[in-house]
Amino acid sequence: MPQKLKHHTLTGLMVLPLFLYLLAFAAVPLFSCVVLSLTDGASNAFPSLDNYRVLFRDDQFGQAFQNTLWLTSLGVSLEVLLGLAVALVLQRLVWGRAFVRAVVLTPLGLPTVVAGVMFIYLFSSTGYVNEFLYRLGLISAPIDWVYGGWRSLGVLLMAELWKVTPVVAFILLAGLESIPETVYEAAAVDGAGAWRQFWHVTLPLLRPSLLMAVVVRAIDAFRVFELPLILTGKSFPVLGTLAYSEYYEYDNPFTSAAAATVLLAIIAACIGGYLFLMTRRPMEGA
Amino acid sequence: MKRTRWSFWWHLGSLPILLLTLLPVYLMLKISVSPPAEVLTPHPTFGLHHVTGEHWKALLTSGALWPPLLKSLLVATWTMLGAIALAAPAAYAIARLPQRWKYPLLLSFFASRMIPEVGVALPVAVQFLRWGLEDTQLGLALAHLIRTLPFVVWILAGTFETIPVALEESAQVDGCHRLQILWYVVFPLAAPGVAVAALFAWLESWNEFTYALYLSLTENTLPLQTYYYVIRGSWFDAATYATFLAVPVMLITAALQRYLKAGYLMGALKG
Amino acid sequence: MSSRDPRSSILALRSSLLGLLCLVLLLGGRASAGTELSVMMGLGEGEWRVMRERIFPPFEEQHEVKVRAIQAEADQAVKKLVAMHRAGRMRVDLITQDVLRLSSLIDAGVMRDLSEQREAIPPSALPQLIQVGTFDGALYFSPYRPNVQITYYHAEKFAEYGLQPPRTWEELLAVARRFKEAEGVGRVLLHGSLDVNTSIHVMEFIWAAGGDPLLLNDAGSVRAFSFLQQLAPYLAPETRLANWNTTNTFLATEAVYLARNWPFGVNLLVQQAGKTQIKAYHGWQGPLREAHVLGGEVIGIPRGARHPGPAVEFMRYLMSRPVQETLVTALGWPSFRTDAYGMLETWQRPYFAAIQEAVRSAVVRPHVTGWAEVDRALVGAFREIVYGGQPVEPTLARYHQQLQKARQRLR
Repeated sequence: MPQKLKHHTLTGLMVLPLFLYLLAFAAVPLFSCVVLSLTDGASNAFPSLDNYRVLFRDDQFGQAFQNTLWLTSLGVSLEVLLGLAVALVLQRLVWGRAFVRAVVLTPLGLPTVVAGVMFIYLFSSTGYVNEFLYRLGLISAPIDWVYGGWRSLGVLLMAELWKVTPVVAFILLAGLESIPETVYEAAAVDGAGAWRQFWHVTLPLLRPSLLMAVVVRAIDAFRVFELPLILTGKSFPVLGTLAYSEYYEYDNPFTSAAAATVLLAIIAACIGGYLFLMTRRPMEGA
Repeated sequence: MKRTRWSFWWHLGSLPILLLTLLPVYLMLKISVSPPAEVLTPHPTFGLHHVTGEHWKALLTSGALWPPLLKSLLVATWTMLGAIALAAPAAYAIARLPQRWKYPLLLSFFASRMIPEVGVALPVAVQFLRWGLEDTQLGLALAHLIRTLPFVVWILAGTFETIPVALEESAQVDGCHRLQILWYVVFPLAAPGVAVAALFAWLESWNEFTYALYLSLTENTLPLQTYYYVIRGSWFDAATYATFLAVPVMLITAALQRYLKAGYLMGALKG
Repeated sequence: MSSRDPRSSILALRSSLLGLLCLVLLLGGRASAGTELSVMMGLGEGEWRVMRERIFPPFEEQHEVKVRAIQAEADQAVKKLVAMHRAGRMRVDLITQDVLRLSSLIDAGVMRDLSEQREAIPPSALPQLIQVGTFDGALYFSPYRPNVQITYYHAEKFAEYGLQPPRTWEELLAVARRFKEAEGVGRVLLHGSLDVNTSIHVMEFIWAAGGDPLLLNDAGSVRAFSFLQQLAPYLAPETRLANWNTTNTFLATEAVYLARNWPFGVNLLVQQAGKTQIKAYHGWQGPLREAHVLGGEVIGIPRGARHPGPAVEFMRYLMSRPVQETLVTALGWPSFRTDAYGMLETWQRPYFAAIQEAVRSAVVRPHVTGWAEVDRALVGAFREIVYGGQPVEPTLARYHQQLQKARQRLR
């Protein structure tokens, strides 16, 4: 009996620092943020939905809301697809494997802002992409990539994909490498071709990796901030940049907190819903 | 059999991957050594025609190069140390918990990663100011830990899970007490996973922008300095600085990637 | 990988980190030799170089202080100063601040009253710049440098199409239309980045038509916005990204041929990039008059600064004639003193003449609480009317309501 108590005490002590830390630096500030969003800016009355009212009336908010959702959903889907493709290539390489692996993982080490700088030069109106298209004879007048709307979305997606695909590829590669060869051999014996093997063997076994990749990426993708800030500015607002500009340009920490709280609610809802759906269905073919 | 038949196409597929990854870096390099006439024109060139060192010289003599680099390096290191120190004991304890406690607990830690920095950075900045932590490396590292801890705990919990309890029990039978077991049995086996988690924490901090934006006063971190060059610099400052960072960072990542065996993540995935 | 390897690598890691720790403690514990004056400014690299090489050293020698420079953009500066003030830890001794970002500092009580320093201001000072630093009769900011936007144009392209730089709104519309029709894409740029840059340009149009940005639905404002809506289809697509920084890039890459921006771009464009075909003039006139927002910087000393004595000395130093003349020569900044004559290089003179001409039509933005709300309204109206093509009068009426309500709440 005392042994068990000692065990639990030790367990508790080991978890305590982490728990306290997250409480102090994550829970409390988050709570302050939510409280701030419910405080009326002018009269300091609490609770008040005034900030949300102001925010929802602003049509930039509606834009930002939509943009965030589109950017995240398209971004995560493309990242997983592209990451899977890259992981498959990496797994099957024989020559130059270390070299390709090294190159693919290098964007990981670059700060996102630096990656953004690269894409500014690529996609400006006298940038290299326009020049390339011009030389190919595809366009005669420069394309305006940051006009907002789908083109800006495309530019942001490309920049984000460049920076982030290595992470997804890495996670999926881990999953791919953990599938034993025997499973494939058994399937081949059963007469399954390459495509069927992929669809019915690889993908189901890859499910935990895919799940992890999606969750990890989605949480970060919703909070996208630096890339829109420097690449597209106000023409493609997202909730992160909206919260920032509310505070820095319009001097209003209250509406800034409101925008951040909305973002938090979206993230929680999406991740929660996704996990709920995904962990209900039993795993096939395990 | 199957492998050799498709092998050619898979190898060919690696070419566009290489090209797309390296192209932006090459263009940055090109801009950093190009005279203005080649870049500031409606039709810029792709190749290296005229090469000039003036931008590099200006950057290297500006004195604004090394302090941000140093600050980012140090903060990343503090974050890494702090993350391991805080997360490892907790992850070990969690890994040994019964299943029904484990998953919800890990998920709740993960929830803290969902917080948008733009909302939290403001209260954190105000609090740090009261504690005298604003503009210090310690303060920034503490803020970075908020982002990093959940994922590090997840990876480490998965890592510790792969170490069979039987090993610890047999060591206990042999007469070792708890701490000895941790030190001599568990830790060496967990070391690769710890290395992955540490590297991850380091990279997260190195890359971090939002907290740095709110919490730095006099000394910029690397991403902040880049941002400064984007909004305030001449056309070549940003590209030159980006190249200055990109090339060595990419070389280092390339050298280190062999330690990032994908298998170390498997522990976390099975969780 | 034997079980020993991870251990030895951990050991190596630990010892190197210990070494790093020692290094950090050594670096962190810099002993401050003598007084250190912390000065906050928002400058570009080239400008900092001039400060570090020519402006700071004489003062440092004479007063035996070390000037510690802190780079902060105007918005950031406000946030940081207010935060430091609230926490009672003011670590900045002197700031130079954009004249358009002063109210928040005054409202938060951050700045020290400098009325006793009024005699230090030379009689040759530009009165508008003193006016802009005065709040409720007390002087909080000393004049430093005035600034107005000038209009850059690509002389070769204008000559090619046989056009003159526009002097009136009608000419501006004609020029914009001509470029668009000839080249298929707009070549005239306004600061359409939907932030404070945009509100400055919009204000200039409103004032030029005799309107009041604080009302937004008077005749002058309606006229200004109607004109902007007419101009919209012929504007360059880069307008959406155009602010005081990116405009220089667009001019340098010849993506636009006519743009209004702050004069610091002259050094970048002509000296650094060698684009001598880009010239400048003072700008165009609206139906009523020519109007430019008076920008520039003023000097202030925060309350609770640790070295107020040297800070005041530095302030006087910055206002002194030799320093002002250096600023004119090295940076092309017009001085607030009419008796400061820089030794301008030949290539600088026409641009400087344009600046001085423009300063003549400079209008001081009135001191009113809640400019953020006014900016928000102006930007919103611009977005809906110019980008969105919404009908002018109803939209302005709506924003008028919104603005009145917002300002009332702040009172």
